[in-house]
Amino acid sequence: MPGLQRPPAEIVLHPARLTALAILALVCGSLLGLAGAGSGAATPAPLGPYLQHIAASAAVQAGLSTLLSLPVGTALALALLRRRFPGRDLLLALLASAAVAPTIVIAFGIVAIYGRSGLLGTLSGSLGLQAPSIYGLHGIVLAHLVMNAPLVARALLHAFEREPGERLRLAAALGFSAVDCFRHLDWPLIRREAPALAVLVFLLCFTSFAIVLALGGGPANATLEVAIYEAVRFEADFTRAAALAALQLALCLGLAAGLAALTPPIRDEAAADRQASRPDAGALRGPDGFVLLLSIALIAPPLLSVASGLAALPLLASAEVARAAATSAVIAAGAGLAACLLALLLASAARSSPRGTRLPDLAAFAMLGLPPFAFVAGLYALLRGLADPALLGLGLVPLVNALMALPFAYRLLWPVLATGAARYGRLADSLGLQGWNRLVLVEWPALRGALGAAFAFAAALSLGDFGVVALFGGGDLTTLPYLLANRLGAYRTDEAGALALLLVLSAGCLAWLAQRWSRRHA
Amino acid sequence: MLEIERLALHYPDFTAQYDLTVPAGALCAVIGPSGGGKTTLLHAIAGFERPSAGRLRFAGQDLLPLPPAARPASILFQDHNLFPHLTAAQNVALGLKPSLRLDAGERDRVAAALAEVGLADLAARFPAELSGGQRQRVAIARALLRGKPLMLLDEPFGALDPGLRRDMIGRVDALRRAHGLTVLMTLHTPEDAADTADLFAFVAEGRVQSCGHWTRLIAEDGPEPVRRFLGL
Amino acid sequence: MRLLNRRTGSLVAALTLLLLAAPAAAQDRPVLTVYTYTSLTGKYGPGGKVKDAFEAQCGCSLRWVASDDAGSLLARLKLEGETTMADLVLGLDMNLAAEARATGLFRPHGQDSTALNLPMPWHDDLLLPFDWGHLAFIYDSTRLAVPPQSLKQLVDDPKGPTLVLQDPRTSAPGLGFLLWMRAVYGEHADEAWTKLKPRIVTFTKGWSEAYGLFLKGEAEMVLSYATSPAYHLSVEKKTQYKAAAFAEGHYLHVELAGVVRTTRQPELAQRFLAFMLSDTFQALIPEGNWMMPAKRPAAGLPAAFTEVIRPEKTLLIAPETVRSQRRAFIDAWLAATTR
Repeated sequence: MPGLQRPPAEIVLHPARLTALAILALVCGSLLGLAGAGSGAATPAPLGPYLQHIAASAAVQAGLSTLLSLPVGTALALALLRRRFPGRDLLLALLASAAVAPTIVIAFGIVAIYGRSGLLGTLSGSLGLQAPSIYGLHGIVLAHLVMNAPLVARALLHAFEREPGERLRLAAALGFSAVDCFRHLDWPLIRREAPALAVLVFLLCFTSFAIVLALGGGPANATLEVAIYEAVRFEADFTRAAALAALQLALCLGLAAGLAALTPPIRDEAAADRQASRPDAGALRGPDGFVLLLSIALIAPPLLSVASGLAALPLLASAEVARAAATSAVIAAGAGLAACLLALLLASAARSSPRGTRLPDLAAFAMLGLPPFAFVAGLYALLRGLADPALLGLGLVPLVNALMALPFAYRLLWPVLATGAARYGRLADSLGLQGWNRLVLVEWPALRGALGAAFAFAAALSLGDFGVVALFGGGDLTTLPYLLANRLGAYRTDEAGALALLLVLSAGCLAWLAQRWSRRHA
Repeated sequence: MLEIERLALHYPDFTAQYDLTVPAGALCAVIGPSGGGKTTLLHAIAGFERPSAGRLRFAGQDLLPLPPAARPASILFQDHNLFPHLTAAQNVALGLKPSLRLDAGERDRVAAALAEVGLADLAARFPAELSGGQRQRVAIARALLRGKPLMLLDEPFGALDPGLRRDMIGRVDALRRAHGLTVLMTLHTPEDAADTADLFAFVAEGRVQSCGHWTRLIAEDGPEPVRRFLGL
Repeated sequence: MRLLNRRTGSLVAALTLLLLAAPAAAQDRPVLTVYTYTSLTGKYGPGGKVKDAFEAQCGCSLRWVASDDAGSLLARLKLEGETTMADLVLGLDMNLAAEARATGLFRPHGQDSTALNLPMPWHDDLLLPFDWGHLAFIYDSTRLAVPPQSLKQLVDDPKGPTLVLQDPRTSAPGLGFLLWMRAVYGEHADEAWTKLKPRIVTFTKGWSEAYGLFLKGEAEMVLSYATSPAYHLSVEKKTQYKAAAFAEGHYLHVELAGVVRTTRQPELAQRFLAFMLSDTFQALIPEGNWMMPAKRPAAGLPAAFTEVIRPEKTLLIAPETVRSQRRAFIDAWLAATTR
């Protein structure tokens, strides 16, 4: 609030700030815990030519992935915004599951379509053509595009759907052409959302690991994450791992802080009324159809290739799978709730300063820079004396999954709260509506849809996550992705295929339910 | 003259059928309970809703086949009439060319329209830097610039305080006389327009229930639903 | 906020309790906690049967605590240090043996290791093998009729088969092959890597990805274990998957167990090691873990294992050398393959 000085205690004790500090403390604590568990001989990680090289190649790869994912995701969001067609909801659910599917499922999916013996390779082979190899930088970028273009599309679609319907009617009344619509309706919003989405996608790709190695074709394509994994798993050199993780975290946070400055502030905005139709819907029927077909052709086949697991589904009828599904469901629900709660607490900073605040932004992005396995190892080193590891795992796994989903959940909730603040902030302040009451009475109606989407995303991400469970897994904490890795390790590719199908279906169902939920309450 | 005959619209939860005639150059206030179909009537005239049957004519021209931009109407909403990323002058200029590539003559017309609503000094401001009344005046300036003979105002001043509201209605009245506009304006507070409006249309349950001059509506023998709505 | 209504809430709580309550049973008997990796305890691993058989004879309960793989197993043990709950560790490998020794967390195993059926004598006093296997390139004989006869032939033939390998930075067999190349080529390993590089489809994070890519037909050969064909033969009744025997010999992968120094159940731990080398345990290894048993059971090996190739020469680089040279080997490999 310009011109109104808040007392210092209130600034420090703001729930958003406290949550941000708690998350950053957890991150730093885990790094210190990891460093402390090392041999003690604190050898500063040498930033030798090797690390410089992989950091540089990771940056190039992530940069390319971002440069492609943003426009493709944007075009897809615009096409989905303008078009209504049967199966649109299914397509949205499919897109959502692409964004959260386990990386190994995406990697195998890409290979199943674009690999040497994949669908395309076989087709072109039968025509006497040699399809280009998928392995290399382009393979990595393609896989990242399949995962991140849907992420961008979903996030932008949420933002577009919050635009007031009056603006669309006005555009229709003023006779906006398709170009005018883009310039005055779409571009301001894209300009506002793109920097944060770019950071999100860049960091996801910069820290990507299994896909980079599986499709990279050679050790030149690597990320710092590989070096951190190597330090933890092969060298058990926790000091080096902590130093490398700190380096990666610093790089990522620096980038997040830098690009956040490019984000223009939210001006006036409001919840949408009954959706008006887009004035450019008619003119762009052709281009939209093209974008939709192209995106579907690009994203759907690798995901749909999990359908090959259909035949093996009966193999899953066992108590072990049922138990793992129940554990996964509990962890996913916990991660979803925790992500919503943390994102809400962090985003509540938007109430008092709609321009966005640095600390909650950084806290929301922190987990993107820190490898989950290093984070968990560090936390484990810190906390293992306090509780039984199984119990610790049950608490930590959802928490870490929630933190991993936080950047996205935060992106979904923050604009809603900022809009609410711009619209009702003064009114709520004048009525003394703060904290919980303000949430329930003022913000809840606009927030419901975004919360549903954030919950579905975090829960689905947690459903597909294997990295965190790896350290704690075993008899007590068996999840579906854990079983997937286990079956792959035991040659049982058919059963693994069925599990992959189950995971992708679950993620899709979650997204579909979230859509219905937010629409019913819109 | 605006002629509306058995103009029918169907929604899952709402059905409307309108009959209304407004003489050219008249100011017609549309009143009635919330959810009664006032906004739907204006949106149907502007072309945002697709009627399933009926007739809609202005100055002898059939409006139904025309897309919103081609209709001889400008519309103002209660909110969101301006694009937040454009200045007041740019928002007005949208009425001339959405591409905003104006020549000197067009820029003069924008300045003149802003001056006509008393905002010549605030042309470079963004909507967020304007008051509620000023924002609506920018939108009116744009409507004037478009030169459409029919002006539709949907609760345009509902968020303003009573004095300002009457002042704005007075401005609209002056502008319509100066430019020969036909004006339809929905109102939450009918008495604001008691002295200005030529005609009051009472809309409830998706129909124009009564239509007439203020004095007739509030007369002892006026229509019962209208008297009840007005609390008489 | 009705995000979580009361019924869902209580369901989640009940499930949580259920999950937590399971390991709390059987408190009266002594518990032997064994850290292992996940494929040992999974549905198809020998873990379940091992637990039942050992519990039937020890009057104790055996508690598996499984980590992702051998590397995370050691990482977890090292993180916990002397406060670890582990009595015993089952599933380290030769590449980690020196690192494990250096932690000082193991005590002598006290078992007689002279009667083991390993392709080389065993002298380590801390870590005891429970199974082993030679690394080998697996191929589909319907797609590759004539496999290379030696590592040199594989490296030298520019029109040779394409390969999927594991990244030596992140995978045990990947590191194993790096050492295999070192054992065969010595100082000239880098040149060999440069020659081999054009035919390497990719280096995956772990064994599963590589083997999956191979089965999808992405390459003609994959680095795995000489025992892999036994799985396809025994379970899938497929005969086309074969291991290529290389004239220079094959690198050895040995899986190890050790007793943790701080165990409060030293006698039970000793009993488990003895049980580990018994017929009961060892007979579960071939078709449970798809490796060769460290001590051949009296009943012999399953039929599928009789066809497993037996390299005449076994290659192995001493764990201490691996520990001190690993970084240098990997740097040289990086330079050779990214050139």
